[in-house]
Amino acid sequence: MNPVGDALTGVSNGLREVWASKLRSLLSMSGIILGVAALVAMVGIVQGMLGNMRASFEASGGILKVEVNKRAPPESQQYIAGISPGMTWRDIGAIEKSIYLADFVTPIVDMGWERFVANGRREGAMLKGVTPGFIGIETREIKYGRFISDTDIHLKSPVIVLGSHIVNDVFRGKENVIGEQVQVSGQLYTVIGQLAELPPIGGAANRWGNFENRMNFIPATTAMSRYRGNDTVNEIYLLANSVESLPDLVGQVENTLTQTHRGILDFEIRTQEDRLRELKKLENSFTYSLGGIAAISLLVGGIGIMNVMLASVSERIREIGVRKAIGARSHDIFIQFLAESVAISVVGGLIGLVASVGLLSLAQDFIPQGEMINIVPVTAMLFGFAFSTTVGLLSGIYPAMRAARLDPIEALRYE
Amino acid sequence: MTNTSTIFRLSDIRRTYKVGSEYVHAMDGVDLEIDDREFIAVIGTSGSGKSTLMHTLGFMDSPTSGQMVFEGNDVSSISRGERALLRASRIGFIFQAFNLLPRLTVIDNVLLPLTYSRKVVEDKHSAGMAALERVGMSHRYSHTPNQLSGGERQRVAIARALINQPRLILADEPTGNLDSKNRGRIMELFSSLLDEGITLALVTHDDEVAEYAHRRIRMQDGKIIEDSRK
Repeated sequence: MNPVGDALTGVSNGLREVWASKLRSLLSMSGIILGVAALVAMVGIVQGMLGNMRASFEASGGILKVEVNKRAPPESQQYIAGISPGMTWRDIGAIEKSIYLADFVTPIVDMGWERFVANGRREGAMLKGVTPGFIGIETREIKYGRFISDTDIHLKSPVIVLGSHIVNDVFRGKENVIGEQVQVSGQLYTVIGQLAELPPIGGAANRWGNFENRMNFIPATTAMSRYRGNDTVNEIYLLANSVESLPDLVGQVENTLTQTHRGILDFEIRTQEDRLRELKKLENSFTYSLGGIAAISLLVGGIGIMNVMLASVSERIREIGVRKAIGARSHDIFIQFLAESVAISVVGGLIGLVASVGLLSLAQDFIPQGEMINIVPVTAMLFGFAFSTTVGLLSGIYPAMRAARLDPIEALRYE
Repeated sequence: MTNTSTIFRLSDIRRTYKVGSEYVHAMDGVDLEIDDREFIAVIGTSGSGKSTLMHTLGFMDSPTSGQMVFEGNDVSSISRGERALLRASRIGFIFQAFNLLPRLTVIDNVLLPLTYSRKVVEDKHSAGMAALERVGMSHRYSHTPNQLSGGERQRVAIARALINQPRLILADEPTGNLDSKNRGRIMELFSSLLDEGITLALVTHDDEVAEYAHRRIRMQDGKIIEDSRK
């Protein structure tokens, strides 16, 4: 008795049978092919998206970044909410004075979409009022000139730092536009800096480029005085000096702003840990829902295999009788049919993996954010392959048992 | 007393089936000794028990009671696995409907019993070709059964039965589906196997075929009612 030899014999008989009935085998493995291909392709797309979100998270200050946003005060404070001045320039001053755990601070005075005119051309882009701290928080490279300085803030200078989109579109043909004049919604600015162009997310295939290149910056004080007529700001960004100081920094910001807002909690402080947690949550929900879909589609594939294998047993009753008559034991027949089922699922799984890579390559050409796709999601591929093999194994057990239990005399009489 | 050349001895073999509430005695106290290199024809009407006798001799069925001794060993109550191994290594089966596997080539059909007998054969292909050569079918080794005539298929089935060098070949109406010309050729082939140390037992309705045998056993109602040698 040699269990390994017996198993190999069964597997070789099983494979020979799969090969002998190519069309039937292909049809029975179609469920597995689609299940594995869909699972891997979906995981590839989702992994790519999440990877991209992480990359953008790293580029915008990483784990050390803290964001302060406006929010509605709690219900218990709503009747006195009016006593708070809201988020203002004074908050920046208070934070800079009292908080020593942050390396950089900047307000964001968001002017939204503005019309840029120069050189006889016009183009729409985003305009934001910031302080020098901005360039310490967001990782942006200055290509020519300089970023906004403390003096610009102090003097409310009419200066602007342009992103590559306006430089390329409005000042077409000019490499360096430092010192040029640009009109933004009727206000004239002198260009003092040009930001280096960020590559399109997903490579050259993405015709939308990178949205960050459409951002242009002026001193926060200039934005407030020229456009707002008051000192309100939309957001405040800070960069902690270390990961360890993050909780204390959040506490300090909370204390300071509670004071400047006269006790009204009309702001929220969000750390990147929160964003990371949300990202992780998103990842988990994708994993569970994709896992569920994959499990269902592969189970359907498994039922397909079982159906075909049961039909195959019924079709081959006489053959089973012949095999038993010439010496096959019940477990030889069991292994042969089980091997057929596993072979169908293994081959189906492999075809599914190849199809998934094809689908992902195809999807990359059609999705604007091209490289948001992981072409070879190895873990998902291994999981999909292992799961499909297991499904094949499990769905082959019952038909194989039915085949093995057949009485050789009865089987030989079967017409 | 068992003859030293006896390869199979059945003593008071009974085989009873329950069909509904009735008991059917397919074999009812069968005593039989089969000697080495005998050529036996088992004849009888339908339902006489000849097929049950063949299944019992071929270890496909177990008797309800009685003793079976094969090659000197008591095999009355061996396991299903042991019966399968004896079928694979010591018995060759030939069927009326040939029972070749249609998806396998001629040579693969012939080699199939080697898979189950677990015999170590250095060059399986050569062994298969030798068996095909023996029945004059080596030139058709790569064909599939449906490319062969009835007589050719039965010759391939005989090669399959020979591949494990069995001690006993059991044939169930081996010429039932053949014309007279092929019937004669197959029976000549059977006769020649005796010289190679093989014992033959065949079930037939055909008296002409039974004439080739050296011993004739007639069954009726599960009993042997005639056992005559030429």
